[in-house]
Amino acid sequence: MSDPRDHDQPDDSEEEEDFNPAPADASDDEGNGAGDNDEDVESSPRQTRKASPARNDAADDEDEEGEGDEDDVAGNDDDEDEEEEDDEEDEEIQGHRRKRARRKDKRSAFFELEAEVDDEDEDEEDEDDAEHEGFIEHTEAGEAEQFAREDDARHRELDRRREMENDMDLEQEAERLKKQYGNKRSARGMGESAVVPQRLLLPSVDDPSIWGVRCKEGKEREVVFSIMQRIQQKQGTKDELGITAAFERGGPNSVMKGLIYVEAQRQTDILQALEGMLNVYPRTKLLLVDIKEMPDLLRVQKTPTLEPGAWVRLRRPPKHSGDLAQVIDITDNGLEARVKFIPRLDYGLRDDALAATTIDGKRKRPMGPGPKPPQKLFSEVEARKRHPRYITGNPQTNNWQYNGDEFEKGFQVKDIKIQHLTIKDVNPTLEEVTKFASGGEDGVENIDLKSLAASLKDSTINVTYLPGDVVEVYDGEQKGVVGKATNVQGDIVTMEVVSGDLAGQTIEVPTKGLRKRFRPGDHVKVIGGSKYREEVGMVVKISEDRVTLLTDQTNTEITVFSKDLREASDIGGQGSLGQYEMTDLVQLDPTTVGCIVKIDRESMVILDQNGDKRHVMPSQIANKLPRRKLAVAADRNGAEIRPDDVVKEYGGMSRQGKIVHIHRTYVFCHTNATNENAGIFVSKVSNVATISAKGGRINAAANSADLSTMNPAAKRPEAKNNMGPPKQMFGRDRLIGQTVTIKKGGYKGLLGRVKDTTDTHARIELHTKSKIISVAKTDVVVRDSVSGNVIKNYDSRKPGAFGMGRPGGDRAAPDWSNAGGRTPMASAGAGGRTPAWKTPSAGGAGGRTPAWNRNGDGGRTPAWAAADGSRTVNPYDGNRTAYGGSGGRTPAWSSGSKTPAPDSFGHGSKTPGYGGSGSSDPWGSGSKTPYGAAPTPGASGGDSWGYTPGASGGSGAYDAPTPGAGLLGAPTPAAMNAPTPGAYSAPTPGAMNAPTPGGGWQSGWGADSAPTPAAAAPTPAASGFSYAVNAPTPGAWAAETPAAGPRYEDD
Amino acid sequence: MFFLYNLERRLTLHPSYFGKNMTELVTTKLMKDVEGTCTGSYYIISVMDSFTISEGRILPGSGLAEFTVGYRAVVWRPFKGETIDTVVVSVNQHGFFAEAGPLRIFVSAHLIPGEIKWDPNGTPPSFHDEETTIQVGTHVRVKIIGTRAEVGDLWAIGSIKEDYLGYFLPP
Repeated sequence: MSDPRDHDQPDDSEEEEDFNPAPADASDDEGNGAGDNDEDVESSPRQTRKASPARNDAADDEDEEGEGDEDDVAGNDDDEDEEEEDDEEDEEIQGHRRKRARRKDKRSAFFELEAEVDDEDEDEEDEDDAEHEGFIEHTEAGEAEQFAREDDARHRELDRRREMENDMDLEQEAERLKKQYGNKRSARGMGESAVVPQRLLLPSVDDPSIWGVRCKEGKEREVVFSIMQRIQQKQGTKDELGITAAFERGGPNSVMKGLIYVEAQRQTDILQALEGMLNVYPRTKLLLVDIKEMPDLLRVQKTPTLEPGAWVRLRRPPKHSGDLAQVIDITDNGLEARVKFIPRLDYGLRDDALAATTIDGKRKRPMGPGPKPPQKLFSEVEARKRHPRYITGNPQTNNWQYNGDEFEKGFQVKDIKIQHLTIKDVNPTLEEVTKFASGGEDGVENIDLKSLAASLKDSTINVTYLPGDVVEVYDGEQKGVVGKATNVQGDIVTMEVVSGDLAGQTIEVPTKGLRKRFRPGDHVKVIGGSKYREEVGMVVKISEDRVTLLTDQTNTEITVFSKDLREASDIGGQGSLGQYEMTDLVQLDPTTVGCIVKIDRESMVILDQNGDKRHVMPSQIANKLPRRKLAVAADRNGAEIRPDDVVKEYGGMSRQGKIVHIHRTYVFCHTNATNENAGIFVSKVSNVATISAKGGRINAAANSADLSTMNPAAKRPEAKNNMGPPKQMFGRDRLIGQTVTIKKGGYKGLLGRVKDTTDTHARIELHTKSKIISVAKTDVVVRDSVSGNVIKNYDSRKPGAFGMGRPGGDRAAPDWSNAGGRTPMASAGAGGRTPAWKTPSAGGAGGRTPAWNRNGDGGRTPAWAAADGSRTVNPYDGNRTAYGGSGGRTPAWSSGSKTPAPDSFGHGSKTPGYGGSGSSDPWGSGSKTPYGAAPTPGASGGDSWGYTPGASGGSGAYDAPTPGAGLLGAPTPAAMNAPTPGAYSAPTPGAMNAPTPGGGWQSGWGADSAPTPAAAAPTPAASGFSYAVNAPTPGAWAAETPAAGPRYEDD
Repeated sequence: MFFLYNLERRLTLHPSYFGKNMTELVTTKLMKDVEGTCTGSYYIISVMDSFTISEGRILPGSGLAEFTVGYRAVVWRPFKGETIDTVVVSVNQHGFFAEAGPLRIFVSAHLIPGEIKWDPNGTPPSFHDEETTIQVGTHVRVKIIGTRAEVGDLWAIGSIKEDYLGYFLPP
């Protein structure tokens, strides 16, 4: 069978001059050889049409395989196709060379071959010569022989020349054929198949069929290799294999794993060929591949190429599954890669639990197959400790062998089958890679960023470009071009170039050569797989692919790949994990609380009350403590501190910060002075001193009126509603002992005597029968025990209308009419005042107060309290109420001569203005402002007190309360602001307190004994106050009572 | 950089304040509201003048009057690339914080020249080279390389890693 030689010689010559089969044939007689060839050529057509092509092909395959293991299996198939063509050609044209020529057209190896043949001949001649020389003397006979040989050589030369000519023709012929069939040739590679009309290439029924043969999973390639080997072995023997091709489409993710595909004319050929081969099961059912499916079977998928330096993940050995590894080298057959990775060794400690516990904590959990030892570079010392015998190696190069594993410079090095590596989407993190880098000599960081970047680029999933990203081309022709991505499709990014020569143009670039571009100062957000995901920060440094940024959240610097960054528009950032957020207060255990100072993706750092930092998982947190805005504590000076106050540590580090949380005796504060713990620190309540309280700010704000709410100065009607709670009655209810009649119910009309009262009810002992009944106080009418006249004013002693600023409704009209106006103003001003008037004015008096309050700070109360020192809400309101109430209750005033009033006021009101406004009222005295005298804005600005009396008091002033007057009070916030505190604080205690006990109280008594209105009048204003604050004795009330008495009489 | 900037603001006034001195009230309120605030890209330092107060329009529903007030204010806007004089307020190993008026600037250690070294052992800790020391209170000339707006505040990152930046003697 020399046919194969014809095919193969060119290939051989092309590769390396390997003629193994050739010399054997060539050493034959030249003529024979030629004849042989001819004969062969003649026979080949016949063979082609019969069963032999398979054999031919098999031989062919064998040879090709012999040339190189790497030959694509698909290639065999192609060659075979071609061979058939060739056979056809042979039919048409005699001469085996033709084909060779055709094959060689590009390579012109043809000539070389000729030369080689020539050489052979010469060699032979030489050999012959040598033989001759060796055995026979140079004789005549030798001469003759030499002549003959020369002659022979000449003949041969002629032959060769002819042949050459013939070959030239053949070459032309080949050209022709090439033109004719060239398409096929160019379509050989399946990769180019898209260019060629596929149907021309499709297999037909005449072609050999392909069967799928079951084999062991993962051994596909091995099986194919062994088939090749077998073909080689059997080549040229009697039982050459009848298969024309074998290939596999295995691979870890392939659906065709566990199968090899064998092409042959008949199924029996396959059975024969695979007989007795390992890992393949031809006796199981063979799957005949449908003709239509054959092309699909050979469709090439680009497999990721593995290059030294690339990062991969291990799947085997199980101990290392998932570990990152770096490829050092790939074995020749492409099946295995030599990788290095960080070993997980326990140095035998796990064999022996006892040892694990005694020997220092170098290692690991004591027992069990479960946990993997942690990754750690190989340590010779460790290894020698327990296994001195198992370790061999060279300390100089730092290469070791230990327990059958190889270690180089601390890393384990191992040949691993490529299918046991994860090549795609390796996604090495910077942390992992850094471990490899730090393994370098002298620990200098020398990460091969290029390969890292390459590995990262491989995992395209992670690199996401979005329209609007500023990107830079760092590879390829357009290197250095910067632009803005406008469109992203697959891994092609359309970008608009913003600078350079191409500015303004739109180009398309594969993501492979792209990276995002940032500049220092850019505000970016970390996306993608980095552990810093979701962090937002500002770029401070850029080197190559690495970007350092300063996070907004914690003001720490982190370094990430630019691919993991995006321009950030939001400020947000990683501030929460589940329900937990930064600076939340959480309960760790019943006695421990902590403040969250850092939040990672799965865990958080908590600063506990003792100032220790703890890493905890959300599951370790018992619960989250709601932020208590109202939490109050006392600092070391006893001053009140609340959240948001600024405090400073006393002693210690003297840190100053704003209180975030107060928990029992601990305060968690936030400071901007440090980044540590996100600026949070913890301290004992007793160890901080207030710097500025939030309340202070409120006071400041209180100085100006809120112009979008009701002008407090102009506020009147609603004032009543704002009066404080009813004045508590102190001491004995004056109703007790009074004679009353019952207004309602079954006992209506009956007369009785009040034995006892509650807030709402009176127990009445009926005169008619010896019975004590309980009646609502509102349902009784007080009568004079002697005259039987109704004493209406008693109503006011009832809780509902006790003059304590109860809404007007309670204050029944009778009161008004009866008392002649409950307020001094009303009475003083004019008897004829309409209730409407009074109402406002009453409001002014009583209600005004809260209004003021409101003006102050929406609560005035604290302000008041602050102003007075210790005054609390109630006293204050009480005062006011008392004013209004008692004022109102001083009919003495109204009815009586005002003269005494001035007297009594005399000491209360020291203002000259008072005299002017004279009768105006006690208010004037209280406020000290010469209200009546000067109803100017200034005066009114002085405060609303001025205003109030104005309304109530002097008739001149009386006009004031009209809107115009209102303005007086209202107008300039400034006017109001300034005087307010002063006016309040100063006069209040003084004017009110002072006169109260003395003037009010005693005069009250005076009134009692000798009902001078004067006494009564000033009293209420001050007395109410004093009662409330200073002397809440029942006596005070008692004092008033009589005052009222006379009034009634007056009426 | 400082600018005189014409701005506009809408203010509302409660009906109870309607009266002759409304203008005064509105301007007072305006000053109180805007002076010293940060709008996101600049600080309003001071309201200058030229108030044009529109007629009040009653807002349906609430009865409040809305005034549109045009005013001119001195504003200060820190720019990327601007060089400003600052005072150091806090120093740590990652860099230092400096303040320029209301603006806080962080100068990262990356943006401090290599020869200026962090010295944690000094009292107080500082950055220093042979001649100069950067510690709390030092006057430093800084170039702003990025700004960030937070709610009601601005915040910047600066660099002293260029010529003529860094320590300077206050005038």
